[in-house]
Amino acid sequence: MSIETHHISKTFGHPPTTVLRNVSLTIPDNDFVSITGRSGSGKSTLLYILSTLDNATEGKIVIDGETVSAMTPQEVHRFRNQKMGFVFQFHYLLPELTALENILIPARKTKVHEAKREKALALLEKFDLKGKDHRLPSQLSGGEQQRVAIARSLIMDPQYLFADEPTGNLDSVNGDTVIKILKDLNEHENMTIIIVTHDPDYAAMAKRRIHLVDGEVVDQ
Amino acid sequence: MLGIVLGTAGYVTISGIMLGFRVFIIDQLINNDAQVRISAREEPILADSLNEEFFPEAKHIFWLAPPSGRRDEAKIEYPQGWFDRLDRDVRVLAYSPQLTIQAIMRRANISENVRMIGCDPAKQERVTEIQKYMLEGKFSDIGQSGNRMIMGLGLMKNLGARVSESVLISVGKGNPIPFKIVGVFQVGMKTIDDSTAFAALNDVQKANLTPSQVSDIAVRLINAEDAKGLASSWSSLSQDKVQSWDQINSGTMSVFKTQDIVRNSMTLTILIVAGFGIYNILNMMVTQKRREIAILRSIGYEPKDIISLFMTQGVLLGTSGGLLGMIFGHLICRYLSTITVDSGRMIGGGGTMMISFDVMIYVFGFLLAFGSSVFASLLPARAASKLTPIDIIRSEA
Ligand SMILES: Nc1ncnc2c1ncn2[C@@H]1O[C@H](COP(=O)(O)OP(=O)(O)OP(=O)(O)O)[C@@H](O)[C@H]1O
Ligand SMILES: [Mg+2]
Repeated sequence: MSIETHHISKTFGHPPTTVLRNVSLTIPDNDFVSITGRSGSGKSTLLYILSTLDNATEGKIVIDGETVSAMTPQEVHRFRNQKMGFVFQFHYLLPELTALENILIPARKTKVHEAKREKALALLEKFDLKGKDHRLPSQLSGGEQQRVAIARSLIMDPQYLFADEPTGNLDSVNGDTVIKILKDLNEHENMTIIIVTHDPDYAAMAKRRIHLVDGEVVDQ
Repeated sequence: MLGIVLGTAGYVTISGIMLGFRVFIIDQLINNDAQVRISAREEPILADSLNEEFFPEAKHIFWLAPPSGRRDEAKIEYPQGWFDRLDRDVRVLAYSPQLTIQAIMRRANISENVRMIGCDPAKQERVTEIQKYMLEGKFSDIGQSGNRMIMGLGLMKNLGARVSESVLISVGKGNPIPFKIVGVFQVGMKTIDDSTAFAALNDVQKANLTPSQVSDIAVRLINAEDAKGLASSWSSLSQDKVQSWDQINSGTMSVFKTQDIVRNSMTLTILIVAGFGIYNILNMMVTQKRREIAILRSIGYEPKDIISLFMTQGVLLGTSGGLLGMIFGHLICRYLSTITVDSGRMIGGGGTMMISFDVMIYVFGFLLAFGSSVFASLLPARAASKLTPIDIIRSEA
């Protein structure tokens, strides 16, 4: 299975400004792709379109053989819940919930949070957060918060993991840890990883690099 | 939140006071007076009323001074007919023929205008609960004859009289007649307590020089709700005026209607304010929780999940506020019901304020709080569900 884009473009506003131009990509399973480019070049926009969070103005996206624009909203929501994980620059943890409860939020949507409890605890342990399952986000460090956010994105065993500058708010030690986790998921769990990053070192660790200049793919 | 609490508390308290008072008054009306009263129609004499009697032959009659006035005495023409009918009717519990007259009561040089009701005490006691309100003596002490009477406490005070004294009654014709006071009652309504006296029917008829006249028949029904229907069907059967208790007291009833309007519009205002409070809180919450909404949406939560999330919040606020308000209102009512009111006008037994603790007040109060919070949550919840994850994430970064 794979994610394919066919000649997608994205324009915003009035007068229309084109942010993505005629992007055609194929991302096969178990790929590790980094998206790079200057600020404003359209990296986030491309990532959101690849992950169904946003729609393309032109062209079509096919994920696992299904055209996204032809799916019903319910199907898209199910897809996101079951097959996709998201990590952003900010962790977006719910401040009222403990680390463990935060990790189980996606499972709660389909009422499998009881069944996923063991897995959540295993993820906490794996990410060096053992014993911190009952802490609130405010009682965790920035690096720990981001690792909880990654655990949350993995709880439903997604095929695809989308990360928009996941290291953007972290120091280099914590940043390295995050990238190591992603690399490990790609190598040992067969996950497809798509990451937006400014850091050339991290970008170089990917199997493949997509470089955007003014919304056009110039190098892949 | 505070708005909902105060709103519900206010509703519960005001309703408790108004309805308590109302229950008391209606109880008085149903139990202390006839549920259906049959009384003589007061017939005015019109310009042509007397034509027949004076000039049965004439076709055209012109009066120089047309006759005017009112027929002599208000009386029921054929009481026996009514008695037979009432005896036969299974819906009638009891009835009591009465002669009510206006009289002047004099003790030493104090005189008071009174309404004297002549009745058969045994029958009267079955029609009203007057015996319950006797402070001294028994209602049956007035007997069948012997010029004994009982009077309201207010009236006795105004006359400066005491039980077992005699006072003079004059009706405007004949000599004043002494009546002995054998008892005192207090029903709690000033209009009655200050100006009413009961005596035996025979004695009143004699004093009024109208033997065997009956001006009213007070009827008690097995079921007080039948009063209106029975009154109107009986009324069509005869010349006499037949009124049910709520028609007799239509003034009081319309006061209740006005009270209801005031109470409801007040509640409505409070709840609108309270609703705005909830609306504002939720709107703020939606703004504060934008990040959470974004992540939930990107995780696969649907708009309807977001709606139910915020609706739950709003309804939780509303219902907890409503419950608090109900407790608060209940406590206020409890407190109010222990306050003694000025004893000249006893309200309810024991001289304390009558407060209604009817569950329906609480049920309705809760429904109002619940309804207004649902209503107030709708818009913010919908607005929250319309937010898309990328818009939020972009505005954050
Ligand atoms: N909703 C929008 N309306 C108008 N313009 C937008 C909108 N969203 C994005 N843009 C524009 O599209 C362009 C690309 O935005 P995008 O967020 O994809 O850039 P980026 O490569 O992720 O930048 P950065 O590295 O700063 O995150 C920017 O010029 C941005 O101003
Ligand atoms: Mg970006």
